[in-house]
Amino acid sequence: MAAALELRDVGVRFGSFDAVDGVSLSVHAGEVVGLIGPNGAGKTVTFNVVTGLQPATRGTVLLDGRDVTGAAAHVRTAMGLARTFQVVQLFAGMSVLENLMVAAHRFTSAGVVVDALRLPGRRRALDQARERASAVLAFLELSHLADVEASSLPVGQARLVELARALCLKPKVLLLDEPASGLDPAETADFVALLAEVRSVLGCAMLLVEHDMGVVMPLCDHLVVMNFGKVLASGTPSEVRDDPAVRTAYLGAVPA
Amino acid sequence: MSTYLALALGGLAIGAMYALTALGIVIVYKTSRVFNFATGAIGLACAYLASTLSAKGLPIPLVIVLAVSLGVTIGIGMELSVRPVKSTLTKTIVTLGWLLALQGAVGWKYGTQAASDQPAVLLESTRLLAIGPYILSKDQAALMAIAVAVVACLAAFFRLTSLGTATRAVSEAPDAARLLGIRVDRVNLVAWGIGGGISGLAGVLVTPLLGELNTTTLIIFTVQALAAALVGRLSSLPLTLAGGLGLGVLQPVVNRFMQTEFPSVRGVDELTALAVVLGALLLFRSGGRRDVAAGGLEPVPVKPLPSGGTALALGAGVLLAVLLLPLLLGDTGNLSRYNLIQTGVWALAVLSLVLLVGVVGQVSVCQAVFMGIGAYGTGIAASHGVPFLLAILVGAAMAAATAALVGLPAIRLEPLELAIATLSLAFTADRFLYNWTPLNGGDTSRPVPRPGFAEQSGAEIASGDRAYAWLVLGIFILAAFAVASLRRGRTGAALTALRSSEPATAAMGFSVVSVKLRGFAASGFLAGLAGALYAGLVGNASGAPFDFTRSITLLAYTVIVGVGSVPGAVLGGFIVTFSTLSFGASDEVARGETASQVTFLTGVLLIAVVAVRDSGVVGRVRDRFRSDPPDPGPLPEQREPLLVKAGL
Ligand SMILES: Nc1ncnc2c1ncn2[C@@H]1O[C@H](COP(=O)(O)OP(=O)(O)O)[C@@H](O)[C@H]1O
Ligand SMILES: [Mg+2]
Repeated sequence: MAAALELRDVGVRFGSFDAVDGVSLSVHAGEVVGLIGPNGAGKTVTFNVVTGLQPATRGTVLLDGRDVTGAAAHVRTAMGLARTFQVVQLFAGMSVLENLMVAAHRFTSAGVVVDALRLPGRRRALDQARERASAVLAFLELSHLADVEASSLPVGQARLVELARALCLKPKVLLLDEPASGLDPAETADFVALLAEVRSVLGCAMLLVEHDMGVVMPLCDHLVVMNFGKVLASGTPSEVRDDPAVRTAYLGAVPA
Repeated sequence: MSTYLALALGGLAIGAMYALTALGIVIVYKTSRVFNFATGAIGLACAYLASTLSAKGLPIPLVIVLAVSLGVTIGIGMELSVRPVKSTLTKTIVTLGWLLALQGAVGWKYGTQAASDQPAVLLESTRLLAIGPYILSKDQAALMAIAVAVVACLAAFFRLTSLGTATRAVSEAPDAARLLGIRVDRVNLVAWGIGGGISGLAGVLVTPLLGELNTTTLIIFTVQALAAALVGRLSSLPLTLAGGLGLGVLQPVVNRFMQTEFPSVRGVDELTALAVVLGALLLFRSGGRRDVAAGGLEPVPVKPLPSGGTALALGAGVLLAVLLLPLLLGDTGNLSRYNLIQTGVWALAVLSLVLLVGVVGQVSVCQAVFMGIGAYGTGIAASHGVPFLLAILVGAAMAAATAALVGLPAIRLEPLELAIATLSLAFTADRFLYNWTPLNGGDTSRPVPRPGFAEQSGAEIASGDRAYAWLVLGIFILAAFAVASLRRGRTGAALTALRSSEPATAAMGFSVVSVKLRGFAASGFLAGLAGALYAGLVGNASGAPFDFTRSITLLAYTVIVGVGSVPGAVLGGFIVTFSTLSFGASDEVARGETASQVTFLTGVLLIAVVAVRDSGVVGRVRDRFRSDPPDPGPLPEQREPLLVKAGL
């Protein structure tokens, strides 16, 4: 079976600087892969290449075995790709529920004319989106936040809402960029438990960028370590932890 | 070949003036990141002053000094007026207010018709240089020398004086400069003063070349300055000079070519400038990006449309209906029915901008052009025998297509850049589009017969007919309803999301390109519909009601009534109609004077409203708007145990 997500020799060059330099990795359905490495290693740029926000200078990105290297971001979303952002990107001026509805609208259809003239399809689209958004909020026990203005949330809740919004897309591949940064220890523990549940319920492939080893170690089946745009090491968490090269690059972050 | 060379040489002098005007823009932009759209208007005011003074027999050097002083004063006044405004884009919109105020003030004082005073001739145009067969006259050489000298002086100012160094520091990093103890406000004041003075000088010098002094020519002249400034990437003085000279050389060559190949096309000079503007914007994108990061271009500050769209639309409709009703019932009162139909039409035009600015989050300074296309499109369809009701839809669809075309670069441009592009288009439309035979049918106006129109007498037309009033009212209510519904529906969700974060919206599965284009097209459709209905009201389509001043005032009224407000559109419609009333003026001159007063007041109102809003309530609303993404500040103490799940 083809991997849910596969990168083959992906490179991104800014001027004469290789932000990502020959990264290959694959994530299968139900698997959680951790992408770790020091700041500036190229993890976020890799995410942007996968989601189509940043064109790759070389290499291939495959979703479920299909080459999407040149595809636009929204096309990849339609193929089951979802992500969160390192800097939370909730939509300001909208409530939490409305934020989720934007994502849920992927499964609805209503054009400008239908919307503007209140043709029958409009109501149906809004109802479907609201229903799906509410269900996801309920699943994450966030229903009480539904009507809160998204930009007023503290970062812990904002990260949860962003995850919820990604889940509204029914992802087959979920990319999370430092989802636990800015959370306190109690929130982080809850978050790990939540991600474990998401994984068991949805069975999607997950690629996780995270600095907190307390999140990475229990969740990930496989780790890929990046440094200076290159893959430095990869393997099971324990293999990677004992790799001397990784220890040198990443001193202090790996618990001994 | 040699003809073309001679032509090109002849363009150098005017090119030097493009460059000089552009320098006025660049100096201001370099320090304050504000794009001064009023450059041409400053030149206009100074040119009129110079012409009056020289007619009084003052010596030429004194005339120049006084005119330039006026430019400096206006520049300083502008800086003071934009100082309390926070967003650089809003400041730029304020400069449009200055454009209106200055244009209106000049028209008010001197009249809008071609001035009775001749332009002040400051330089004798005696022959000076013979380069082979080519002749360069003394005044042309002097103009080029002046432009080069100004560039040299400015370069020296930036390099050699401490104030110049401070200016550069402010331009590179305003916050750091502030921390270093540089008084940023004072530096800005100096830059605006210099910019105003240069704009004034350019206006005075260029008028003899343009050969006429009236309230539009010098402002449309701005489009060439925009092009030169953009070639200079809004920062390089030598490149700006080169851009101006290059455009000056290019225009007569293109003009000659078009005259032989397409003799009916008018406004070729403006068209050439527009092409340079668009080319520079799209090619020099990367430079612009950096400016954006450093200069803090922000999205249009708007409050979101309040919820309860239906109630809103109905409220707006009812308001309009109440106002229209007595007249529909036959009591014509003071305002004739004709004027109330106009109100409906202009309200629809303002509504199209409410949709674009308030919902799509883009600034268009060419909304009247979409109206014009809607009007002409209706005429074209009608001339093919399409019934009126269908013809206005054809016109609106043509406007929608044009708007989508204009929106295409907007996918890659920042709002400020789009404002530059659309204003250039508005200038060009006046000279080129409305004189373009395929559109106007070879005449300045194209008949748009609405049903029953032919049988009506002049008096009946002037009072408007009742059925048409109902039609306009119905269409406006439907449109208000549609805008409110759109905002609350699926497309509206995507548009609102887009204003907050493009990457996240794309990651939600929406195509950024298609969402933006649909927003533009919808706005263009409404504007086109308004233009079509206007054409139906007056019985013909022409460019005059949809000139660049109209485009700017429509944006001004939209900002004045509040960009997010559907009922505000009705108010906006009233102001526009009111502004077109002649107030008993009988002849062309008096009517021009009234129109100038209204333009002046509109400009002043725009400047004042933005200043008041930014210091008060609206500023606070926007601050709330701006506080995203939320600060990763301390978390609240009592955190809800969200994820205490059984079995986990
Ligand atoms: N658009 C860009 N242009 C130039 N350099 C970039 C761009 N985006 C990221 N970089 C650089 O690429 C490197 C990798 O960044 P990033 O992927 O964000 O690192 P991280 O692993 O911490 O997520 C950094 O040095 C960053 O400065
Ligand atoms: Mg990162």
